Amino acid sequence: MNQPTVSLTDVSTYLPGEPVGADYYAKFAGSDDLAANLMFRAPKFRHHVGPDETVIDMVERAARGLIERHGRDVIANVDVLITHAQMPDVPFYGGGGGIAHRLGMRPNWVLDLHNGGCAAFVLGLKVARQLLASGQGRTALIAIAQNAAGQIFDQPGVRRKAQSSVPGDGAAVALVTVSDESPILDIECRTYGEYAGDMTLVIDPVRKWWQPGPGEGCIGFTETKIAKVLARGNEQVPEVALAVCDRIGLSSKDIDLLVTNQPNRVFLRNWRQALEVPESRHLDTFDECGNLFGAGIPINLDHAISDGQVKAGDVVMMAAFAHAGDFAGAAAVRWGGRS
Amino acid sequence: MSLAALDDIAVHSGTNEPIEGVVRIETSPLEETAPMFMAKMRSVYPHEEVFGKYCTVNDYVDCPPDELFEYLAHTRSLEEWTYTLRDFTPTEESGLWLAYDRLLPDTTIYTRTVANAESRTVDYHCAWDQGEHLWMIYVLRVLDAQVVLGKPGSVVLWTNCRHAFYDNNPHPEAAPPERTGWVGDFWDLFGAGHGLELNNLKSIAEYRHRNGLPVTPAWMSTS
Repeated sequence: MNQPTVSLTDVSTYLPGEPVGADYYAKFAGSDDLAANLMFRAPKFRHHVGPDETVIDMVERAARGLIERHGRDVIANVDVLITHAQMPDVPFYGGGGGIAHRLGMRPNWVLDLHNGGCAAFVLGLKVARQLLASGQGRTALIAIAQNAAGQIFDQPGVRRKAQSSVPGDGAAVALVTVSDESPILDIECRTYGEYAGDMTLVIDPVRKWWQPGPGEGCIGFTETKIAKVLARGNEQVPEVALAVCDRIGLSSKDIDLLVTNQPNRVFLRNWRQALEVPESRHLDTFDECGNLFGAGIPINLDHAISDGQVKAGDVVMMAAFAHAGDFAGAAAVRWGGRS
Repeated sequence: MSLAALDDIAVHSGTNEPIEGVVRIETSPLEETAPMFMAKMRSVYPHEEVFGKYCTVNDYVDCPPDELFEYLAHTRSLEEWTYTLRDFTPTEESGLWLAYDRLLPDTTIYTRTVANAESRTVDYHCAWDQGEHLWMIYVLRVLDAQVVLGKPGSVVLWTNCRHAFYDNNPHPEAAPPERTGWVGDFWDLFGAGHGLELNNLKSIAEYRHRNGLPVTPAWMSTS
């Protein structure tokens, strides 16, 4: 028996507050300012989550576009809710329950995915597709919130570091449905568990994140590991995208729109070169939004749709890798247009 | 102060500023240089950058390095592990061999092998069509894998440099009259071609070593 086709039907997004310019960081910049380098050159702008804005708030705001276009009932009646928040409002539990409540849903399935990182949207698509294809419902909502820029990266000490000007906050909500209008063609997700420990939370003086004490927590990689993370990202993202290309019989050159996560300009350059996709068909919002982590793919996709850079019938390839290279995923969709 | 490094240039230039192109940690701290390294790391590298001026292929061979060196030092080993060089015969000139490169019809190739057992270097000095000026140099070195990889066997490093003659045949008069192609036409395939030949070498040497056969066969050692 053929499984039903599952579509990525629509996506809407939210960027909190007014754009924060690069000069915000210039006034804090410490001695490790590497602004001139391609690798660390700061984006012109990024957004910061508000001081009291929660993941639930961000997702609610991101869902407005979907509600406007599809009606409140479509959102309220989803069968599957999949969420990913980079920094959960409360560390003990994910935001799924609160998000469902805020959006007026009573879904049969609520899943908080924490392992997907920058590739969380692809992982969410895979889970949603599988659940819907196996008859667990007709519609799914994927909600992603990236909120580290205005929080952990904006601590008084941490924001002096060059790396702190790169993250940006934003949220995205996608509607996935049993439909053949905008079919998900294939998805590849790979876990590289051996690299899971290479992204670290550093606190000086050393303490566990929940222990009392001085020192600001900072997400990072050990210095000597940065080259390894770069090499992994260089390899993994083209690898998963090409795996999807192979299975759907598409030459990577024929990808109509490439949408990736956007950790820095070097990765963006390297990935499109590896996939032989010209810059004009690789959409990023790095200069406006910075590194959006897991929200990068859906926000870039939303921009591409809104700006008319992707039209009905185009094959969109979404690809990303997470953390220090412990997870990567790619998904291809034949975009059906926004009705 | 680090000994007398570059003192002569400082005296000559009258400054302690580094000369153009020299990047050393004293004047370019790691914090500045590391990001430059990272920006140079790619997912893919242009063919021209990798194979344009120099063509290098390397591989591990599970065969003792001295035995592999001895084999390679015989010019006629090329009869076995190359893709196209066949029918080696000695010329009147000592150490100079004549063979055919079956890449193109009626094409002769001259080879003289310069080998050094101590460093295990084997350089094949070759040329198509004439043996007067051997300008195609195949530079090989056999390393002891125990030293470089911590396991028994050999590592073979092999480089060709793009001599200007690859682009322009210096002796068109020596070419067979019907032939239109030239060895340099294949330069951009050398990476793939030499990779295939190195794999031939690996497969042959490993087979012999694994099965207790002399790596250099008897016929090659005689005459």
